[in-house]
Amino acid sequence: MRNYIAAVFDDSRKAYEALRQLWDLDGRGDIAVHGTGVVHRDELGFIQVDTKETHPALGTAIGVGVGALLGALAGPAGAAVGAAGGAGIGAATGGAVGMIADLDRADTRQEAADETGFVLGFKQSAVIADVSEDWTTPIDTCIRKLGGKVYRRPRSDIRDDAWYSPAYPYGYYLYPYEYVPPAYAF
Amino acid sequence: MAQLATASAKSGAEAKVKDAIDNLRSAAQDLHRQITDAAARKSGATKADLAALTEKAKSLAKSVKASIDTQQGNVAKHLTDAITHLEATQANLSDSLKATGADLDASVKKVLVEARASVQKLSEAVAEKRAANSAKKS
Repeated sequence: MRNYIAAVFDDSRKAYEALRQLWDLDGRGDIAVHGTGVVHRDELGFIQVDTKETHPALGTAIGVGVGALLGALAGPAGAAVGAAGGAGIGAATGGAVGMIADLDRADTRQEAADETGFVLGFKQSAVIADVSEDWTTPIDTCIRKLGGKVYRRPRSDIRDDAWYSPAYPYGYYLYPYEYVPPAYAF
Repeated sequence: MAQLATASAKSGAEAKVKDAIDNLRSAAQDLHRQITDAAARKSGATKADLAALTEKAKSLAKSVKASIDTQQGNVAKHLTDAITHLEATQANLSDSLKATGADLDASVKKVLVEARASVQKLSEAVAEKRAANSAKKS
């Protein structure tokens, strides 16, 4: 089954450990990982997507795309906000921080919680991944061991979102391999 | 969500053995990594970088083509799509060799999009193959 997942942690280093373990699960053939990314939310609510330094146009696109994906993971209510707030999410390298995304609006948070429960809280980090999994146990076990919580949304549901683009799906904004910024290299 | 998406659980060594498609995906991941690194250079990708990446995309497309005959169904379809994107990657890399300024930026952006799409299609082929192997075992 093809799912988008968000694994949420209170500690950003645990998020990167989870990223490594997801790709290990792929390497062992337990799941297939199509793409991953790591996002952080600071104490002021700013959301940052960790990216390589790259072509400026791509950096902007990643911020917009991952913003939409975060919204999509929060369900239909959050997706509207994610798409609108996506442009305000910074695709940053190192310590740079993007603008405030609107994902913390109280009404939306409540609606999003009713849908899937996924909300990236203040000072939390999340691994976002596009995966194919025959069963949920490998990922659930690995994330639970690291103290994180997993949220899933089937890709088929997300494809029904009005702004989903078949030509450039959300997953394309994720790294198609394990990318760890130097600050988090083990 | 149900604990089991399907009744089949992978357990044996079969799922752990990397096959040819895994290796093609690794090569495509590496190509994407090198393209993003080249695009990130302060002074931009050099002509030598772009020429080397063009050859790499061409060679990878050839390898994927060679592997299609041994595959069936959705796996073959994903591989065919990957070839289309790899050929577009190669074509846009060739264009970027001749371009400058804004045209160069535009063609590098197209290269990144096509290279990303090619990895995605190979990754989907890997997933399809693993699911088929898993179903065979159960």
